[in-house]
Amino acid sequence: MSFEPKLLGFLCNWCSYAGADLAGVSRIQYPPNMRVIRVMCSGRIDPKFIVQALELGIDGVYVMGCHIGDCHYLEGNYEAVKKYEMTREFLKLVGLDNRIRLDWVSASEGVRFGEVVSKFVNDIKELGPSPLSGDSPDKDLINKVRAIRLAAGSNRMRALVGRERKITEEDNVYGEKYPLEKYKEIMSQAIIEEYERHRILIALEDESKSVKSLASELSVDPSIILEHILTLKGRAQVDFQEIIKNTPIYMRRE
Amino acid sequence: MTEEEKKEDDVRVGVFICHCGSNIGGLIDCKGLADYAGTLPGVTHSEDNLYTCSETGLTAIKTAIKENNLNRVVVASCTPRTHEPLFRECVSEAGLNPYLFNFVNIRDQCTWVHMKDAEGAYAKAADLVKMGVAKAEKLEPLDMIKLDINQVGLVIGGGVTGISAALNLSRQGFKTYLIEKEAQLGGRLNNLYKLFPHDIDASEIVNRLISNANNPKNLEVLTSTQIVNIHGFVGNYEVEITQNGNNKTLKVGTIIVAVGSSLLDPKGLFGYNGQNIITQYELEPKLKNNQIKAKDIVMIQCAGSRNDKRPYCSSVCCMTALKNALIIKEKNPDTHISILFRDLYTPGTEYEEYYRKAREKGIIFINYDVDRNPNVEENQVRVYNEYIGEDMLIPYDLLVLSTPLVANTDNKVLAQMLKVPTESNNFFLEAHVKLRPSDFATAGVFIGGSAKWPVDITESIAQGYSAASRASTILSHKTIEVDGATSNLPVYNKNLCSGCEICMKVCPFHAIVKNEDDEIEIIEALCKGCGVCGATCTNQAIVIKHFTDDQIMSEILAYGGK
Amino acid sequence: MEKSSKSALVIGGGIAGIQAALDLADMGIHVDMVEKKPSIGGRMAQLDKTFPTNDCSICILAPKLSECYRHPNITLHAYSEVQKVEGTAGNFTVEILKRARYVKESECINCGLCAEKCPMRVEDEFDRELRKRRAIYMYYLQGVPAIMTIDKEKCLWFTKNACRICEKACEKEAIDFDQQDQTITLNNVGSIVVATGYNLIEDFEKEALNIYGYGKFRNVVTALEFERMECASGPQGGHIKRFSDGVTPKKIAFLQCIGSRSDRYKKYCSSICCMYTTKEAMIAYEHDNSLESYVFYIDMRAGGKGFQSFLRRGASDYNIDYIKSKIAQIDIDKDENPIIVYEDYDDGKIKQLKVDLVVLATCIIPPEGIEDMAKLLGIELNDYNFIKTTPFIPVETSKNGIFTCGCVHEPMDIPRSVTEASGAAARAAEVIRGG
Repeated sequence: MSFEPKLLGFLCNWCSYAGADLAGVSRIQYPPNMRVIRVMCSGRIDPKFIVQALELGIDGVYVMGCHIGDCHYLEGNYEAVKKYEMTREFLKLVGLDNRIRLDWVSASEGVRFGEVVSKFVNDIKELGPSPLSGDSPDKDLINKVRAIRLAAGSNRMRALVGRERKITEEDNVYGEKYPLEKYKEIMSQAIIEEYERHRILIALEDESKSVKSLASELSVDPSIILEHILTLKGRAQVDFQEIIKNTPIYMRRE
Repeated sequence: MTEEEKKEDDVRVGVFICHCGSNIGGLIDCKGLADYAGTLPGVTHSEDNLYTCSETGLTAIKTAIKENNLNRVVVASCTPRTHEPLFRECVSEAGLNPYLFNFVNIRDQCTWVHMKDAEGAYAKAADLVKMGVAKAEKLEPLDMIKLDINQVGLVIGGGVTGISAALNLSRQGFKTYLIEKEAQLGGRLNNLYKLFPHDIDASEIVNRLISNANNPKNLEVLTSTQIVNIHGFVGNYEVEITQNGNNKTLKVGTIIVAVGSSLLDPKGLFGYNGQNIITQYELEPKLKNNQIKAKDIVMIQCAGSRNDKRPYCSSVCCMTALKNALIIKEKNPDTHISILFRDLYTPGTEYEEYYRKAREKGIIFINYDVDRNPNVEENQVRVYNEYIGEDMLIPYDLLVLSTPLVANTDNKVLAQMLKVPTESNNFFLEAHVKLRPSDFATAGVFIGGSAKWPVDITESIAQGYSAASRASTILSHKTIEVDGATSNLPVYNKNLCSGCEICMKVCPFHAIVKNEDDEIEIIEALCKGCGVCGATCTNQAIVIKHFTDDQIMSEILAYGGK
Repeated sequence: MEKSSKSALVIGGGIAGIQAALDLADMGIHVDMVEKKPSIGGRMAQLDKTFPTNDCSICILAPKLSECYRHPNITLHAYSEVQKVEGTAGNFTVEILKRARYVKESECINCGLCAEKCPMRVEDEFDRELRKRRAIYMYYLQGVPAIMTIDKEKCLWFTKNACRICEKACEKEAIDFDQQDQTITLNNVGSIVVATGYNLIEDFEKEALNIYGYGKFRNVVTALEFERMECASGPQGGHIKRFSDGVTPKKIAFLQCIGSRSDRYKKYCSSICCMYTTKEAMIAYEHDNSLESYVFYIDMRAGGKGFQSFLRRGASDYNIDYIKSKIAQIDIDKDENPIIVYEDYDDGKIKQLKVDLVVLATCIIPPEGIEDMAKLLGIELNDYNFIKTTPFIPVETSKNGIFTCGCVHEPMDIPRSVTEASGAAARAAEVIRGG
């Protein structure tokens, strides 16, 4: 039997959901692989929804909203782009970024809705099943994706993505504007840091560990791990537990 | 909240699968789907109906709610975009909160688009029903949000737009304040001579408007008055004003902005000197006082507009030039008048007719290109005529510049007080250029006249009425009700809020504010339920009612769960 | 405000009528809306996108349509016409003719099974006759109310006493060949808003387009036809193809002032063409980035908010060349490519340009039946047969208590139509509330 991908779509109520309905009214035929969750605005789509779906082994996630400028709520789709882009950057770390897609579909684009969904189904078919699908997916990868979900939901990442427009489009109190490039740099840096930090937190869930063992487990340089541990201590998420054979052991704090 | 709705562990979902004749039932086994739904956790009743939306179907829902003590209802059928209101009403008639209803789309987005794949369509429908039930289990009853309205209108600006708006509101029966910063009403009209295209004296219109404004019983005109500050939100604004040194506070429900526009300072344009090189606005009183003796008059259009600095068309200048030229021609048919223009803006019926009339009266129209602006020399204008391919020299003893209307410099101050935006030329920016031309995105505040964009008298009056109409849709009610599916910062999440204010920033409707205690407060009556703040909130403290994280996650889990 | 015992009548269910009705209804005044066509939406529903922000027309219109349909204070009479008006401001009595659809409104679920089976192919008016519909049909896919209608003129049962296939196809038994036209009387109508929109010159004076080869050359189309060609739910599914050979045009000429600003046809300016032409050229460019567009114009009229920057963007980002000119004639070559002969106003020379497709910006004219409507209402028309309005008060007709808005009194764009619609509503409310 050929591989039939299991897909999820998040559709905004006013444009893409209406476009999907129009496809129906016009009897446009497309493959039935995608299930739809309706939200009022694409700006409502929290990165954690997308990552959670992938974590569950869903093969692809489609986010759809009104074309830029058409948003029923003025600018919700701009916000959607920012959140989506961040999610994509995170997923690049585990090679799952090509399993998510963002598109604008208007209420008159019934035909196009069918086309883009068909294309998504085909593209994901070519890509093959998600490494997280099936009965016994790789535990390590699940933990990585989980780390992404938690990292994307962290206060720091949400604040960064939420402030992007303010940072890059408006002057600060000193009349300075942050160039978009600079912002992106900060963002990429933060993505890697938060990903690694949340991986540490997950790794410490079952048992307490030393920097060295964390470093080898996560394949990250011990000095970086140590920096993260210190940050996490500062955030009261990790604590020093004991010293065993001259090596400090760290534990997860509740 | 009724007893049934309260206990979450006691969720009883009823699922209704609609055949929609053969639209759904012709492709997939609806009976089987209903049986499957019956096996889902939380579902205590399921059935299939030929048409769930028919009277029979609706009665079946109501009966099942009563007989099975259902506290959630799921209908799998056409699309919520057309039928959700009907089913919400139905469950509400059976005593259930309408928000405890959930719609599953298995026609428009399922059987109609997978007609050649019955098996695939069934699997999709089954998943969608499962997801719909999962969300239904998490649904919470919501109330419509009520907001008291102070049924008093305020109009800022006593020009033609503001007076029209205020007169209309007061005649509709609303107590209305009209605020004007100058000592008298009338605005720009006070400085004009005659008005196109009907060539009526501006003073006649002004006097008519002012005498009307002084009559109605509900209208209070406050001249020499300025706004000091504005607090509150739709239905409940407090506006601090100052009149001749006396401060007072007006309590109003809506605010109309009709502050008009300003004139461009013409210094440095085409040799402007205020003597024989003047603007159209300076020409008006001279015409009124019959002071124009010039024999050769040249008018230059787009003087200071449609350039890089002011890229817009001021839209009233072409007609103003035509009107003034015609007035002069009428008095002294021998006067030579040339109008140098780029694109003559006389849209519609009467304005185009006016243009034709001007041509017939012998006014000369010469086209010039923005890259080759006319050159003003002593007693003559040099203009490159592309048609003949060389410079033309046109003598003048009076040169009139058609300068644009520009935005008031203090628009920004008022905009900040009202929490409304301005655009790149500093004019006020409406909520939607096409469909909400008189609204601001901020509820309860409206806009009209040349404060928004340069417009003529006729359009100003229409816009004044329009703003009044929009205000009246609010003022007509003692309370207004808005959809209960709003964003919300629940008490139990208050400690999560870090006060970062990002939610305030992303809310397009200014529904999120910091209150007197420096706490984030969501004015639910202003919220339109888009949910962006919820997806943005850095500490995930904001809950989007009816689309909560929990509800959406339950749908994802129902689909992806193994 | 107490609920008024007087109601308002809005004639015309286009964007102007819809806005007027919604405002009045939101003020708590009952509104009866009469629309001649089977569904409301008017011209705006036919547009692909709308200037100057190019948002999708149906996306922003559809919520208003359903709001109108569901509003507790609005009674929608679609497929209906006003046939009698008596009384004066504050107290009109109105008779409405509700035409039989031969489909039970309460039963039809717009599933389309009937149309699938209907054997009659009929020119589709909504798609400017660029495709066929059936004799039983939805006026347009997203139409409101979403109820099928039998076209009595074309239906085989009504014309030849045969068929009734739709009756068998309908599972809801919604077809009712015995349905009769109904007369509905409205008493106590306080004020009336007339918003019946416009027609285009090709609807009644096709000869105005003759010199541009329209009807003779297949690659000459009107702007509204082009709009439907661009629309994703239109007859070409949003893939613009010319009619002679189905090839996507690479070079399009847009001709302005067709029938307008003309000594022979209409003297007035249609107001919206400069802008929508730029919009159409932009959308076409978005479909195909190799497209070259040429706009042949007299004056570029773009006074509205954001309009000048829209034109600038057209020239700088969308490969649109604006040529101030006068068209002399149009011919075609052996491949049916139109050749435009024109006088370039920039240098006074006569030039030629061969293009793949010509789009005509045709003149807006008063709507069909406006004279009867005016007589019925007792209002005056102006020299061009648009509704005559009071100087400086564009929403006021010559009769007390009757107001107007939108293109029925002068050609105008959507922002102005919507503004006037609210303005007319404000004045109508004044009369109803006794002010």
